Amino acid sequence: MNLGQFAWSNIKGSAFRSWVVFLCAMIVAGFSLSTVLIIRGAQDSLRLALDRLGADIIVVPEGAETKVESALLMGKPVKVWMPQENLGKIARVPGVAVASPQLYLSSLSNASCCAVSDMFMVAFDPKTDFTVEPWLKHKLGHELRLGEAVGGSYVFTPEGEENIKLYGYFITLKGNLAPTGTGLDQTMFMTFETAQDIARISKTRAEKPLEIPPNSMSAALVKVQPGADTRSVALDIMQQVPGVTPIESPDMFQTFRQQITGLLRGMLVILSITLLLSLVLIGLIFSMAANERRREIGVLRALGATRGFVFQSILAEAALLAVDGGAVGIGLACLATYLFRDLLMRSLGIPFLFPSLPSLVTLVGGGLVVALGGVTLAAFIPAYRVSRQDPALAMRE
Amino acid sequence: MSMIALRDVTKTYQVSKEVAVTAVRGVSLNVERGEFVIITGRSGSGKTTLLNLAAGLVKPTSGEVRLADVNLWSLSDREQSLLRNQKIGFVFQFPSLLPSLTVLENVALPTMFATNHKNRDAYERAARLLEVVGLSDKLSAYPRQLSAGQQQRVVVARALISQPQVLLADEPTSNLDEQTEQEIMNLFRDIHGQTGITIILVTHTSQLVAYGTRAIAMANGAILDA
Repeated sequence: MNLGQFAWSNIKGSAFRSWVVFLCAMIVAGFSLSTVLIIRGAQDSLRLALDRLGADIIVVPEGAETKVESALLMGKPVKVWMPQENLGKIARVPGVAVASPQLYLSSLSNASCCAVSDMFMVAFDPKTDFTVEPWLKHKLGHELRLGEAVGGSYVFTPEGEENIKLYGYFITLKGNLAPTGTGLDQTMFMTFETAQDIARISKTRAEKPLEIPPNSMSAALVKVQPGADTRSVALDIMQQVPGVTPIESPDMFQTFRQQITGLLRGMLVILSITLLLSLVLIGLIFSMAANERRREIGVLRALGATRGFVFQSILAEAALLAVDGGAVGIGLACLATYLFRDLLMRSLGIPFLFPSLPSLVTLVGGGLVVALGGVTLAAFIPAYRVSRQDPALAMRE
Repeated sequence: MSMIALRDVTKTYQVSKEVAVTAVRGVSLNVERGEFVIITGRSGSGKTTLLNLAAGLVKPTSGEVRLADVNLWSLSDREQSLLRNQKIGFVFQFPSLLPSLTVLENVALPTMFATNHKNRDAYERAARLLEVVGLSDKLSAYPRQLSAGQQQRVVVARALISQPQVLLADEPTSNLDEQTEQEIMNLFRDIHGQTGITIILVTHTSQLVAYGTRAIAMANGAILDA
């Protein structure tokens, strides 16, 4: 028999105590991992959304900042317009390298002419676009043609169909972008030309026509010249182009960042309380167990066990329960977060992207370390005290 | 050279700030190899404390305790534990088997603390010892499935697993009926006869002195006659 087998036999011998410690470890590890998964998932999602847009500055109509951010992050369709002449003014601002216009459109709600309800649609200008064009060149090897579109990771052609019907217009889906965990995953990207064609066809084939105000755009995506200060370029845009608000990339999605920060704080408070209560409970359980087993430990010492062995055997017991409970808690946390990710996004109002396998492995490792560290820390003092007790006195009690 | 030598040993327990109880006072005792010493005395006479002092489980307030000519309290915890593991076998008054281990595992348990521990050898030896004490059919049983007498036999087997030089038994028959008491005492006598092991047995039953080679009586922490 070795130390691990001895500890395991003690675990089996005290089923109730072992279950309580197991459950505490499970809750601590599971809750810690869920918190990190949600917060990390939201942050990754925001970062990927910004990377996807690829803009240093997004210029939107004054007062439409939150609406546009909601559209991009949560896929809530939005109708905001500003004159297209603003694009020229923006492009002329010193420090601007490229300014590319976008139109934000949406499919109709519950209409037979639209295969998908309330889908967020982004039309771009292939001549200046730097959001979708690089992906198109890399994946398709050519630009989007008339009647073609690419979709976010959740956009599919209906089963048995070859095209997606929008406003009675048949669009061919040429590919899907990688997931971001944001509304961009449910967004369809097409050229201005295709958007105008849909608007034209919709007048005769749709329940309601797609209306695109003439000479308008919804937003302009700006890349600044290398070495230019993004903040001063944004300030210049605000001064030189009336009626618009430039949002710098680091300031983008502020509302969501605040929401995530608030969520993080709330979850950290709950996590700290859970962790503290669990550690106290585990400490108490091990203290009680140590007291109950004083005589047994006295016998072990009489049979030749060193203080170190007694100490290690209690910590090994705690560690085994921590690893087992932690592993189950982590498994449940991963499964629940993965299965209910859409519900999480909707109920918490934040974007969410389940982490990649390497990140997940790191997080799982971290969760196990939290469980192992927490439980062994809680068992440390009782284990130390009982290992130092006088064996003869312990046996007499 | 004595197997166990106590020189002017006193043990005082500090019960509270004001109250101190002297359990053993100025005891000197030599136990030679191969002796079967029975220490008798009433409850509170200091017999168990004397036994614990001899095993190094209690540190004397004053005096010296030597086991196989080694001063026990000059050793580190590790050295003392190893010495106890290899030279002393214990039989306790109370049920001392670990409830979560089988009979075989309980008997083999002390080998786990030895430096040259080998699982297979330990279990083979444990099985042989259980055969000696008449429990070869209970290897996989748990202590709760045994009678008090059977449990005490397992404890005797466990005490012998490390082939110790000394067997210390603290009231090993106090919880047993008369017939089982005789069986256990006969077992001690047989073991002593066959192995020549040194035994110190503590009891409050003066009739048991017949089983030993020497009897010592204790009262108020002191030896009355040696």
